[in-house]
Amino acid sequence: MATHALTPAAVASYRGGLYEWLTTTDHKKIGIMYVINSFLFFLVGGLFALGVRAELARPGLQIFSNEHVYNEFFSIHATVMIFLFIIPILAGLGNYAVPLMIGAPDMAFPRINALSFWMLPLGGLLLLAGFLTPGGAAAAGWTSYPPLSEVGPLKSPGPGQDLWLVSLALIGTSSILGGINFLVTIFKMRAPGMTLFRMPIMVWTVLVTSVLVVMATPVLTSALVMLFIDRNFGGHFFDPFAGGNAVLYQNVFWFYSHPAVYVMILPAMGVVSEVLPVFSRKPLFGYKAFIFATAGIGALGFSVWAHHMFTTGAVFLPFFSLMTFLIAVPTGVKMFNWVFTIFRGQLTFSTPFIFALGFLTMFLIGGINGAFSAAVPVDFALHDTYFVVAHLHYVLFGGSVFGVFAGIYYWFPKMTGRLLDEGLGKVHFILMFIGFNLTFFPMHMLGLSGMPRRIADYADNAGWNDWNLLATIGGFTIAFSILPFIWNVFVSRRAGKIAGDDPWEGNTLEWATSSPPPPYNFDRLPEIRSERPVFDARHGRLAVHAPELTDEMGPA
Amino acid sequence: MSSSPRKRLAPEAVVAGGVVVVLIALVLAVFFSGLGKSLYPPDAATTQAKDVRGLYDIVFALAIAVFLAVEGLIVWSILRYRRKPGDVELPAQTHGNNVVEIIWTLIPTVIVLYLFAISWNTLKTVDAISAQPDIRIQANASQFQWQFVYLDASGKKVATQTIPLAADGGGMAVPVGKTIHVSLESPDVIHAFYVPRFLFKRDVVPGQHNEFQFTVDPSEATDGHPAIFRGQCAELCGIGHRTMLFNVIGMTQTDYDAWLAKLIVTANATPAPAASGATVLQLAAKNIAFDKTTLDAAAGQPFAIDFKNEDTPGTMHNVEIRKADGTVVADPPTIDGGAETTYAYDSLPAGTYTFICKVHPIAQMTGTLTVK
Repeated sequence: MATHALTPAAVASYRGGLYEWLTTTDHKKIGIMYVINSFLFFLVGGLFALGVRAELARPGLQIFSNEHVYNEFFSIHATVMIFLFIIPILAGLGNYAVPLMIGAPDMAFPRINALSFWMLPLGGLLLLAGFLTPGGAAAAGWTSYPPLSEVGPLKSPGPGQDLWLVSLALIGTSSILGGINFLVTIFKMRAPGMTLFRMPIMVWTVLVTSVLVVMATPVLTSALVMLFIDRNFGGHFFDPFAGGNAVLYQNVFWFYSHPAVYVMILPAMGVVSEVLPVFSRKPLFGYKAFIFATAGIGALGFSVWAHHMFTTGAVFLPFFSLMTFLIAVPTGVKMFNWVFTIFRGQLTFSTPFIFALGFLTMFLIGGINGAFSAAVPVDFALHDTYFVVAHLHYVLFGGSVFGVFAGIYYWFPKMTGRLLDEGLGKVHFILMFIGFNLTFFPMHMLGLSGMPRRIADYADNAGWNDWNLLATIGGFTIAFSILPFIWNVFVSRRAGKIAGDDPWEGNTLEWATSSPPPPYNFDRLPEIRSERPVFDARHGRLAVHAPELTDEMGPA
Repeated sequence: MSSSPRKRLAPEAVVAGGVVVVLIALVLAVFFSGLGKSLYPPDAATTQAKDVRGLYDIVFALAIAVFLAVEGLIVWSILRYRRKPGDVELPAQTHGNNVVEIIWTLIPTVIVLYLFAISWNTLKTVDAISAQPDIRIQANASQFQWQFVYLDASGKKVATQTIPLAADGGGMAVPVGKTIHVSLESPDVIHAFYVPRFLFKRDVVPGQHNEFQFTVDPSEATDGHPAIFRGQCAELCGIGHRTMLFNVIGMTQTDYDAWLAKLIVTANATPAPAASGATVLQLAAKNIAFDKTTLDAAAGQPFAIDFKNEDTPGTMHNVEIRKADGTVVADPPTIDGGAETTYAYDSLPAGTYTFICKVHPIAQMTGTLTVK
């Protein structure tokens, strides 16, 4: 072949489509891959949930040949939803939005960013590979308490549990790398003028989340390593019959896993805090109060882990009860700030906003029913019953998942240049909202009347038949509601309405660049003089000098 | 600025206000119609449970109040502040207000501190341990069966109830109106002692000594009419988790004394010997596994199994016979680790059966019985 001089164009030409996606270090592409990968695992986790709900629809064992398969299903459902869906999809939205929002060209460490993404599908496949091993996948619950998760004929004899440990250690490492990357990006890569107190709330929530991840995840990893040593190398960390302590694992596990609850909710709160002001045409009420509340939740989040262990008889109850009650205060502050953001606004009910309202109304219930378990004696009645299942789903589904969908509808036009269809979006919301409440509200009643978690079957005369059937119908309604969403994404990606740079009249910097943004994000940046630089540019002096107009518009 | 929001009541405000009022009325109607009853725990059966119920009622009332206030404001705002086609100008750009921030930080703080104080107070009575309880019971939870060991004042074993369910003629009987002390032991994994009508549960942690006390309300039982309370393991403990059911039976003191005397007699009785001349098969269980996977018996003749449980005490086994379709043919009583017994079985028609330990229905404790 004849040699020829390389032209600059030849050097800069894009790589082939698939090759580009597999090797990219662009935070936007990595963010989108995070979202897609997590969404696929959401579907997988959802199928496991449907299995669980189908089994519980009626008393008697119908679809599972034995309880072990049922135990695998709810264990893998929760593990997938928590570690492979909610945490990474929020990290993905953050990955996409944070550099854009602070006016940065990319994350601080693009290659580490790619590495932390690619660990996720690997970890997920390892986890699911448990089903191919003799003895099946991990079946000791997503918490995998020893001694049940130790080796033993009636415990967890198979390699499925080991795969669970390795998979979580991988995903944890991915989280830590991502957390460090976010911290460095936020502290070192902000555009000129983007001071800390002008950062969008989304960026603040990702910042606090990253601190939690970096501080707590290594502790979880230590629990995983100790359990791995117990299982494979004759350790006795958690074996009470050889001098170990079974409750030790719970302490170490929850020292991570309670802050992890905030890892799963704070960025969703961030999304909602971006969406509500935009569609209310008002700034977020109490911007600084909101930041302090976020930091307060982050700090208090480390002192409440043992409220998962009130019934173990190995916990100093008053301290953890007090702390658990107190963490409701900053959460309440946020709720009031959101409500006063939409109060006296001009509301446009586009799909992102509707999902954010879904977050508001449902997370409120998830916050309130949490107070029951903070009262220790009431928790003695409710712990490990379906009441707790109701509570956690009102927080993580009613809260986080609705927040995630608000974010997807909100940023889809930025990611693709096209809007998702509003009609299909509303069908998605209505079905999901109804299905969600049908599924999880009856679980309050089931729990109060004494139905424990994690049982494959219940007596015909226990009085649980109707509520369980209702919950199962709701579960399938949720599954059905995902179909218009998937259809919407496939159709709108090619044929949706062209979005333009700023379809929602947004406030933050990602709306100042093209949709989708060019590599390295910005050709030029607007002046950054408040937390709403794009709003300022659109409305000129009005916004920056709003106090001049206060004579007829001040707060009540 | 929106035009004159204060001068005249906007139609949206009427609609929004109406909807909020309807929603509040709906919630109240649910409670007054009795439908709200399912949002309360079941009737409290113990002194301690009544305290917990009192606490629950306060938490619940506050929860409903906060829910209605905040949800009402959200619904109001959604309906009232819809953007109209004429809304070109921005609404008031309210950035916040430090006074209201302080107010809605302080009020919730006061509420949660109050809730903390009353729940701590209740906790003290619920968790109180008297040094001189009337009855002492050690509840042993093992995979996957409960046993209740009755102890005397010095902690010496009096009798063991190995049958956990009242329907099978078992259950943990206690006299009503008396202080019952329960200590919890597990030889394997973590379980939890949970009785919904006691509004209480406590984990059974291997290697850790957990205990609690309760007093069943005297009105629950009269002579000859005991009260049966459903109980269940509440901490995932493996494949048989859902089968770990038990009953607590509240009895009058007279009934209880008779019940305990009978338990002592039954516990010391020797099982009926196998019919003479019957085939006697040998079977042992060790490390949660049978030592044989196949047994043979002759059709139409009674037979017996000499069964040794070589596991540690606390691990119960039996040898249940099931037909191919899963119907149970024979379900002899379980025996404890270290014990041995001879199970006598009636004659069976020719065919293939399954023998299985009902406490541990896993592959290692399942075998084939061929009758020909």
